[in-house]
Amino acid sequence: MKKKLLYIFIIFCFLFIPQLVNAQEEVNLYLFHSKDCMHCQSEREWLASIKEEYQYLNIYEYEVTRSEENSALLQKVKKQLSSTTKYVPFTVIGETYFVGWNENNKNKILEKIENYNYEQRDIVNEVLNGIEGEPIVKQDNEEQEGVSTFTIPLLGNIDAKKVSLPLVAAIIGFIDGFNPCAMWVLIFLISMLMGMKNKKRMWTLGLTFLCSSAMVYLLFMLAWLNIAISLNQIVWVRVLVAIVALIGAFLNLKSFYKSVKQKDSGCEVVDNNKRKKLMNRIKQFTSEKSFWLSILGVVALAFSVNIIELACSAGLPLIFTQILALNNLNWLAYFIYLIIYIAFFLLDDIIVFVVAMKTLELTGISTKYTKYSHLIGGLIMLLIGILMIFKPEWIMFNF
Amino acid sequence: MKVLKFNAIWCSACLVMKKVFKHVENMHPELKFINYDYDMDEDLVEKYNIGTTIPVLIFLDENDQEVTRIVGEKSYDEIEEIIASISKEG
Repeated sequence: MKKKLLYIFIIFCFLFIPQLVNAQEEVNLYLFHSKDCMHCQSEREWLASIKEEYQYLNIYEYEVTRSEENSALLQKVKKQLSSTTKYVPFTVIGETYFVGWNENNKNKILEKIENYNYEQRDIVNEVLNGIEGEPIVKQDNEEQEGVSTFTIPLLGNIDAKKVSLPLVAAIIGFIDGFNPCAMWVLIFLISMLMGMKNKKRMWTLGLTFLCSSAMVYLLFMLAWLNIAISLNQIVWVRVLVAIVALIGAFLNLKSFYKSVKQKDSGCEVVDNNKRKKLMNRIKQFTSEKSFWLSILGVVALAFSVNIIELACSAGLPLIFTQILALNNLNWLAYFIYLIIYIAFFLLDDIIVFVVAMKTLELTGISTKYTKYSHLIGGLIMLLIGILMIFKPEWIMFNF
Repeated sequence: MKVLKFNAIWCSACLVMKKVFKHVENMHPELKFINYDYDMDEDLVEKYNIGTTIPVLIFLDENDQEVTRIVGEKSYDEIEEIIASISKEG
């Protein structure tokens, strides 16, 4: 009987002791985060709050936007986990990773901590120790984003992250469009076109001017976007753009203050010589017999005028491309947002052109609106400039 | 009384003011409005010291002396008020 009890005891020990040991073993959780990301901060706070309850949990944090070493480690870990995500927070427990931070991920992480399988590999530990194991097969929890939906009566559920960027593109583009620097060229061009008898030629030359203007803006913004994306991790580049935004804000608010003080809002006469030269050029190519030479003239005019306009915008396109770069999107999305920006930027020009062509009467847009565009533009630039320095995650729309 | 109007073909504010000026002209047949172009009539632009904001309306008395001027975009009522004040003074 004693022997039987001894056997039962030994079997009992074999069955339960390993689990008791396991319960005291440690679980390593690796959090790759960015200081600019609000979701990351929420997850960090939550992890700190559960640390006492799960004393066997080791939390290792790696800030990836300010440390090249941590960023390189994240890339290696993602490679081993077969993840292609660009998002943080990126949490790894053993062979499992979680992208983003929301209620669902919180529950999954807790479940993983409580039911940790000690037989699995600790991928981050392997990478840290230079062990090159086989990469893990791709998991299906890729690209999870934070919860950012809110409900609007009649419209239903709206995802703030999806709505914010197009809205920002439209607003900044529209405000940029009220910049009066090049409007006078369009009006003069239309007045010259209206003297033509050939309606088809009028439409073609006018539309060529508008499309070429859009192209100049698109090229400039794409070029800056490319630079901004490649320098996205460098904090001082963001600070530099923020300073440009603050200078732009100051100039716009100064213009608003000046126009309020002046009381006389009208057309500001630009440099006499430059204006006359440009007017002569427009007269020359609109009266050009060769259709293709006229087109070339319009394209050249649009390029030269819009380069001036870019300088005149005091940085709004630059700031918008920086916002896009901060949001880590794919190129198709970047392109769509740029198109939205440019469409709204050209909206007032398109209205003036189409109304003139349809009614054969030139209509101007009141310069009184320019005053308010300076005010709104200045306030937007001030806000963005401050956010870029102190709260960049807010313009990444990490609500 | 003569009223000199300085506009430019490329000026958005001048286009906006076109209708207002037309209305003022209709309401005041006693005023003789004369149009000038900022780019074509440079000597007059210089003579009347038009400055860098247009459109400009210059009111001249019978001796061609400037009585007052209106610069930039103004509403019909604002222009009416100015005309009324000139008439009172006159």
